[in-house]
Amino acid sequence: MESAAIQTYGLTRRFGALTAVDDVTLTVSQGQFFGFLGPNGAGKSTTIKMLTGLLEPTTGSIEILGRRFWSGALELKGQIGVVPEGMALLGRLTASEYLHFVGRMYGLDRKTTSQRTEELLEFMDLAHEHKKLVTDFSHGMQKKLALAAAVIHAPKVLFLDEPFEGVDAIAAGMLKALLQGMIQRGATIFLTTHVLEIVERLCSHVAIIHCGKLVANGSIEDLRAGVASRLPGEEGSRTLTLEEIFLSTVGADSGGVAQELSWLA
Amino acid sequence: MAGVSDGEQGSAAGAHNGPFSRLALAQYATLLGMRWLVLSNTPRTLQGVFELSARGLGLLVYGTMGMGLSIALGSAANIFSAREEWTMLALVFWVALFIWQSVPVGLASFQTQFEMGTLLRFPVSFGSFFLLSLVVGVADISTILGVLCSIGIWMGIALARPDLALWALAVVGLFGIFNILLVRLILLWLDRWLARRRSRELVGAVIVLLLLSLQLLNPALQSDSHPRRQLQPRHFSVEPVNGEEKGIVAQTVLVAQPWFPPGLAAVVVQRASRGRANTAGTALAGLGLYVAAVAGLLGMRLKAEFRGESLGEAEAAGAESQRRYGMLLNGAGPIAAVMEKELRTMIRSMPLLYAMGAPLFMVIVLSSLLHNNAPARWREFDYALPGCLAYALMGVSQLLYNALGTDGTGVRLIFLSPTPVRTVMLAKNLFHGMAFGVVACAAWVMTSLRMGWPDDVMTAAALAWLMFALPANLAIGNVFSLVMPHRVDLGRLTRQRGSAASSLLSMFVQLLLLGVGGAVFLVCSMSGRLWLAVPVFLVLAAVASYAWLRVYDELDELAVANKDRLIDTLARLE
Repeated sequence: MESAAIQTYGLTRRFGALTAVDDVTLTVSQGQFFGFLGPNGAGKSTTIKMLTGLLEPTTGSIEILGRRFWSGALELKGQIGVVPEGMALLGRLTASEYLHFVGRMYGLDRKTTSQRTEELLEFMDLAHEHKKLVTDFSHGMQKKLALAAAVIHAPKVLFLDEPFEGVDAIAAGMLKALLQGMIQRGATIFLTTHVLEIVERLCSHVAIIHCGKLVANGSIEDLRAGVASRLPGEEGSRTLTLEEIFLSTVGADSGGVAQELSWLA
Repeated sequence: MAGVSDGEQGSAAGAHNGPFSRLALAQYATLLGMRWLVLSNTPRTLQGVFELSARGLGLLVYGTMGMGLSIALGSAANIFSAREEWTMLALVFWVALFIWQSVPVGLASFQTQFEMGTLLRFPVSFGSFFLLSLVVGVADISTILGVLCSIGIWMGIALARPDLALWALAVVGLFGIFNILLVRLILLWLDRWLARRRSRELVGAVIVLLLLSLQLLNPALQSDSHPRRQLQPRHFSVEPVNGEEKGIVAQTVLVAQPWFPPGLAAVVVQRASRGRANTAGTALAGLGLYVAAVAGLLGMRLKAEFRGESLGEAEAAGAESQRRYGMLLNGAGPIAAVMEKELRTMIRSMPLLYAMGAPLFMVIVLSSLLHNNAPARWREFDYALPGCLAYALMGVSQLLYNALGTDGTGVRLIFLSPTPVRTVMLAKNLFHGMAFGVVACAAWVMTSLRMGWPDDVMTAAALAWLMFALPANLAIGNVFSLVMPHRVDLGRLTRQRGSAASSLLSMFVQLLLLGVGGAVFLVCSMSGRLWLAVPVFLVLAAVASYAWLRVYDELDELAVANKDRLIDTLARLE
């Protein structure tokens, strides 16, 4: 039996009195495009930080590709790629120099690093910007570079924290194609984003975290059926969007708040 | 902003937002409140308590230093005013100006620097922005020292000549404002100018030329034994002035200096002392013109920042070399990658180049001072080499003690990649060791040129001390880098956010290592067996190397234990 790509057991992280992530147990199968959703402050980024070794869990454990993952699991780190929140760029390098640096940090030889750097810069439409330092890139360009750095070592599991934020429509389409290609070749992608339309289009499975707790987990169809069954009559019979599923699951009401701010133009 | 969130006032913000409008006043109050909150929240963590204590200690040290300077300058002002030696009073003002302007470039501020650019998202008028930029950093070292010096000067004049107290108050007040504006102006323009690659290259070239020039010019201008001076003693002289023979340079300075702010300040007091209120007022107005001019230039710079100017290299990007760098290190592994990255970062960052170059400059100055001005028996100062090497090591210690500070958000990559943290630190240690090697060699050559070639035993002892001091610094620096990191803004030379605690502790460690070195040199020298220092230092070097290895073994665990702090401090989203 093929092991899960990502498996967490009772993952919990506390910051003093605040429990940011509370007893999260989830499984992401290999080859799955997994969407991890939640409102602001729900614990998405904290979870992804723990899953990538940037933050130690208070309790609980993580398995990646069937092996226990912790911040010292260096061999496993070589098999995962990450676009962390705020990225991990070095502003005083050019894009090419940065990718060379990252490739070698992941243990690639110089020839492979150079070849992949060139291909990635071409693919990301950054090749013509080889003179610029990363610090002078626009936010969208930095996102593209961060994604290129995350995949340069051909990871089996990819963690993406808001990868489409600030990226234009053309680049977003390109990135989606890249990610779908990776899925077809057997990689696993763990994605957090606020753009539900992207999740709906790309992901086969979704988990929703709210106030640190996992409140939904399953395929989009399963979640849709679950939410629909709770709706009365005709409401439940139509096809619900992921946004409706999400809002229903976290118990948010989008209309009421706007009506209360009557002073807004 | 507090108190201004009601719709009517909010909508009128753009129209009535002068520096003293209700909105602006509310903004000042909010900003002060925010600064207070930042201060009061600092001791929430142990490191915060430590930081605050270190800043308090720094304040005490610089306050004491300022009091000493104040008493010295005040006494001088008192004596010169009583004797009506007004040219000498001008000299007192010049010293105050030098202290006020030179301190901030040499020292990192001990208070948390506030990035004024963060205010631009709010409806802040340019007037408010200008005032805030002056007020926010007013409690820095240079201002404390400068204000204390100014108070001292005022008290000195007023005690000697009570009838001049009011004039002196006006002069000292304007002189203080001039200095506060000038120091900001210099720092802001320096940051702007050095943000460009071409400027940095120019500065680099100027520093090299300056070093060479000092080598060539210093003996020519200062050495009494220089043949040119012996052959043509009157070349630099003119006829006696006031019964004394003064050089052309000195005479020019005497004629020109009253036109500059320190000279004008003395002129005001001088004219007031002779009851010439009108001409004293004119000189005071001249000082005021200087204030206005500096304020105007500062305004130009701040206006650019107010418009959202970024100190990046965007403008210089077009001029960035198109060549692919051919000096890639040939290793493919992470150690070569990190060293290469460090090298690229260093050559593109003025703060790092400054950290490397400043010690060399000081080595030149120190060795020249010893050579030219010290008593004859010191001119062949045996300890010049170890002294200059020790100074050079102190200069680069900020790189060793905050090795991750330049990585910024890139620090995440260290924890994400399969490369162990200790491998990264090893690469950084190797790079910093090599960089220091270059600085040390240059310091050695320069010291030898100025002071003569040191004898072999002294050279061996100095090298042995380095073999002890460098690994000791690297070992302690590695711990400091992981436990007390602070982010280095590679785009600017000034307004860095240093860690007072780290600076204080690293200074303490440096003094300890220097003390050990000095004690060994002293004991061995006094016993007439300087060669004995070599084996002693080699034993200490073995101990230091062992300590470095032990620390190296623990680096991964230390990094994991401090991971949250490292990422939070270095990769914080601004």
